[in-house]
Amino acid sequence: MASLNLLTVVIFLPLAGAVAAAFFPADEPNQHRALALLFSLATFFASLGLWFGFNTTHAAPEFQFETMVPWVASLGVSYHIGIDGVALLLVLLTTVLTPIVVLSTFRSVQERVKEFMIALLVLESAMIGTFAALDLILFYVFWEAVLVPMYLLIGIWGSDNRLYATLKFFIYTFVASVLMLVAILYVSAHAGGSFDYLKVRENLQLGVSAERVVFLAFAAAFAVKVPMFPLHTWLPDAHTEAPTAGSVILAGVLLKMGTFGFFRYALPLFPEAALHYRPLLATLAVVGILYGALMCLVQKDMKRLVAYSSVSHMGFVMLGLMALTVEGLTGGVYQMLNHGISTGALFLLVGLLYERRHTRAISEFGGLGRQMPWLATAFVIVTLSSIGLPGTNGFVGEFLVLSGTWLGRLQGHLFGHPVAAAWFAALGALGVILGAVYMLLLVERVFLGPLRNPKNQSLPDLSVREWFVLVPLVILIGVLGLVPQPFLTPAREPALRLLARFQTVEERLRKENPELPPATGSEPAAIAGRE
Amino acid sequence: MNGFSPTDLAAMLPLALLVAGALVLLLSEVFLTSARRGYQVGVTVATAALSALAAFSASPAGPVFGGMAVVDAFSTFVTVVVCFGVALSALLAGPWLRAREAERGEFYALLLFSASGMVLLSSASDLLVAFIAIEIMSLSTYALAAWMRRGRKPAEAAFKYFLLGAFSSALFIYGSALVYGATGSTLFASIPHSSGALLATGLGLVGAGLAFKVAAVPFHQWTPDVYEGAPTPVTAFMAAGVKTAAFAVLARLLVTVWAGPQAAGLGSGGVVTVLALLTMIFGNLLALPQRSVKRMLAYSSIAHAGYLLVGVVAAGAMGARSSGIAALLFYLAAYTATVIGAFAVVGILERRGAPAEEPNDAWDLTRLAGLARRRPGLAFVMAVFMVSLAGIPPSAGFIAKLLIFKAAVAAQAYGLAVVGVLTSALGAYYYLRVVVYMYMRAPEAEEAPLVSPALSVALAVCALTVVVLGIGPEPVAALARVASALAP
Repeated sequence: MASLNLLTVVIFLPLAGAVAAAFFPADEPNQHRALALLFSLATFFASLGLWFGFNTTHAAPEFQFETMVPWVASLGVSYHIGIDGVALLLVLLTTVLTPIVVLSTFRSVQERVKEFMIALLVLESAMIGTFAALDLILFYVFWEAVLVPMYLLIGIWGSDNRLYATLKFFIYTFVASVLMLVAILYVSAHAGGSFDYLKVRENLQLGVSAERVVFLAFAAAFAVKVPMFPLHTWLPDAHTEAPTAGSVILAGVLLKMGTFGFFRYALPLFPEAALHYRPLLATLAVVGILYGALMCLVQKDMKRLVAYSSVSHMGFVMLGLMALTVEGLTGGVYQMLNHGISTGALFLLVGLLYERRHTRAISEFGGLGRQMPWLATAFVIVTLSSIGLPGTNGFVGEFLVLSGTWLGRLQGHLFGHPVAAAWFAALGALGVILGAVYMLLLVERVFLGPLRNPKNQSLPDLSVREWFVLVPLVILIGVLGLVPQPFLTPAREPALRLLARFQTVEERLRKENPELPPATGSEPAAIAGRE
Repeated sequence: MNGFSPTDLAAMLPLALLVAGALVLLLSEVFLTSARRGYQVGVTVATAALSALAAFSASPAGPVFGGMAVVDAFSTFVTVVVCFGVALSALLAGPWLRAREAERGEFYALLLFSASGMVLLSSASDLLVAFIAIEIMSLSTYALAAWMRRGRKPAEAAFKYFLLGAFSSALFIYGSALVYGATGSTLFASIPHSSGALLATGLGLVGAGLAFKVAAVPFHQWTPDVYEGAPTPVTAFMAAGVKTAAFAVLARLLVTVWAGPQAAGLGSGGVVTVLALLTMIFGNLLALPQRSVKRMLAYSSIAHAGYLLVGVVAAGAMGARSSGIAALLFYLAAYTATVIGAFAVVGILERRGAPAEEPNDAWDLTRLAGLARRRPGLAFVMAVFMVSLAGIPPSAGFIAKLLIFKAAVAAQAYGLAVVGVLTSALGAYYYLRVVVYMYMRAPEAEEAPLVSPALSVALAVCALTVVVLGIGPEPVAALARVASALAP
């Protein structure tokens, strides 16, 4: 490497921080807090270089900040990294959330601070690496490397039932991922023996049934991470038991690795199989939206409620991707950012309440708005973003996903009867309404009404540090809600490329079977109406 | 057969060095006062290092002793791995034995004699040479396993190991006799030129004898008891060295047989596939309920034999021969460093009870509880070894499994690859349980763990090897690839 690649710096800066922290004494927690904050902030500023240096025009190369160094030559594995617009947004989401999370743990984590910060920094490196990898094995290495620090975060710093939750988390995700490893090996063997993403995408030759099996192996690994109904059962446990920081990272970034996996790997590498399984995946996405929302209505534990709302919200992301329209894909990507910001903020707020009262039971609260007006204000803003009120980021994402689905050519089947795309959009919209119901009910039960519980009467409002934790997220909610264009543009080019890929496949299929109706893109009438 | 030429003897220099080192240790025990301890570990490590250096620097000589043995890149690689294992085991054995007042020079002499058998085994290309090498290796290990014959369990372990070892040797030699009857020769290379029931039976018996040595299911029953009962440094040596050498000869034999014109008629590929499946599945399943860490590692070594067998099966396929052997060799190197490191931690923590005491809970998981607070460094390296055994990146174990499964996919053995990854996910459960105890449980008051510079060196070398092979595996992987070209 002649000059150090900026993306490489962003990936390994947190890891360097973790290594540095190893040399500091464990009985000086403040040094470790400062060190972790320093390195995560440095990573954030370095990643701003990616943001400002990124070219979003059509003429720009697909992957930027690219670099390639042979890694295990005898395996054909190389350290090949680069980011497209979607990866750029997710890398930034990671680098924004991590310093906030570090700051949020200054009071809540008092035990083994050194190990905690090391785990957090290693986790950040692995997450950024997952988004930046352009080699299938490198991707898998980062993907799996995420598991161990997350496992430790939940298992060491979690609450009472943490061992069960962390093991469940690990086993679910690990079992699903190892099958993807075999699929990766199979794919590489049928793409000239290379693991390079670009070469594999170019040269992959698979039979119809083989492509479907391989797609399912990839999709299973990603679907567990998203998590899609019915593979979601690890999530409520993991979220409930995880420390606040773990929940924020889990909801904020880890779940996006699943949807990112669909966008980057499962859809473009196996388009035919993806078209085949699309009705199933879209149906599961809608079921997840509604099921998650309904489960939220009956939760007694605040954290569990937010966890189930993640199932619902990530269903929107999947629905947007499965719509296979420009609006749906960009909306899905945008919704990934929104969910990272607003659910991350929700977990932080629930964590603040937990630090004050050491309970997460909704029934213990009520009327907190009088006692802590600023915390209540932040909670209401985040809630409005979460339910997609116009003016907040959530509205932009949900609107794009639903309109993209409505305008698209997604077609499902129910007992042999075709189900039109509009139904998917309508049921998704029902999920939006349910979302408003459960979130507003939560706000009402926790913050509104009279302050009855005497234990709540002396709770302090936000401290200065907590302001610094929440304000960046509230600002992001407003900015992404009012000025969405700069954050939509990077996703547009990758979405168009993905659609173009699907359209070539469709044309090929139509040569074999001219009767085949078009399946991707928007209805022309709808587009004409909009122009 | 030709006479022995001086070049033949020169090619055997690594083996000769190991024997010379063993003799030096034996003699020193006679002439030096037994009050002076400590030099034996140094002599053993130096001997192993010299032997590895000699193997590494000598040019591959090809067939020696009239084709009864082969010195090639493959045997060189195995020799280096065996020497690495011997040196690490000796570093572990020194403090461990001293803490139990059981250190004598003969221990290290036996270690080196056993290693000389392993080195010969890696070169054997004749059933009789293989048999002699197996016996040299095994007789020394029987004695080592009986080194601490205090209490019922160690005695039972040593006796069981001897009895079943003798049984497997008998199977091997009887099989060799049948092969000789069918082909008129004991050379590996002559086997694939014939076929028939007699040869298939003979080959089956030889294979069964080797399956005992590598502890493949259903020939594994001795492993847990012996591994648990033997002194921990010896267990580490068995898990690393004996497994490496036995797999070396198994791979050379089977690849020679499968490359021949009559391979299909012998039908051995299917048998090995079944063995690999059974070994992966049962090795991992049986390890699940174990509470004794030492016993869990014993079952895990069975499971790893299953993954190694996948490499052997892959090596039998047309397009995957060299990638299968290279994967096998890399796996053996990675496993040697990982398993010796893991057993070293077990040895450090195990109870040093009175001789008569039954060490039933000597290796219970609770002895690891809260280790991250008591000995953070020790807990960290143990976590590294567990991650590597589970095959989670970035560790040597992951790259090793990746190579194995890649070879299996190249050989179109998809079933083996799928079962392999699923059972390794199962394995993650019991390896991570160790991490749970070390990091997520409160410490219990325990006697102070063993501390010694030699142990620290051994642990550091093991952990460093695991991490380096996980992050920068290319040099070793390239060497394994070179070594995969077996000399004819």
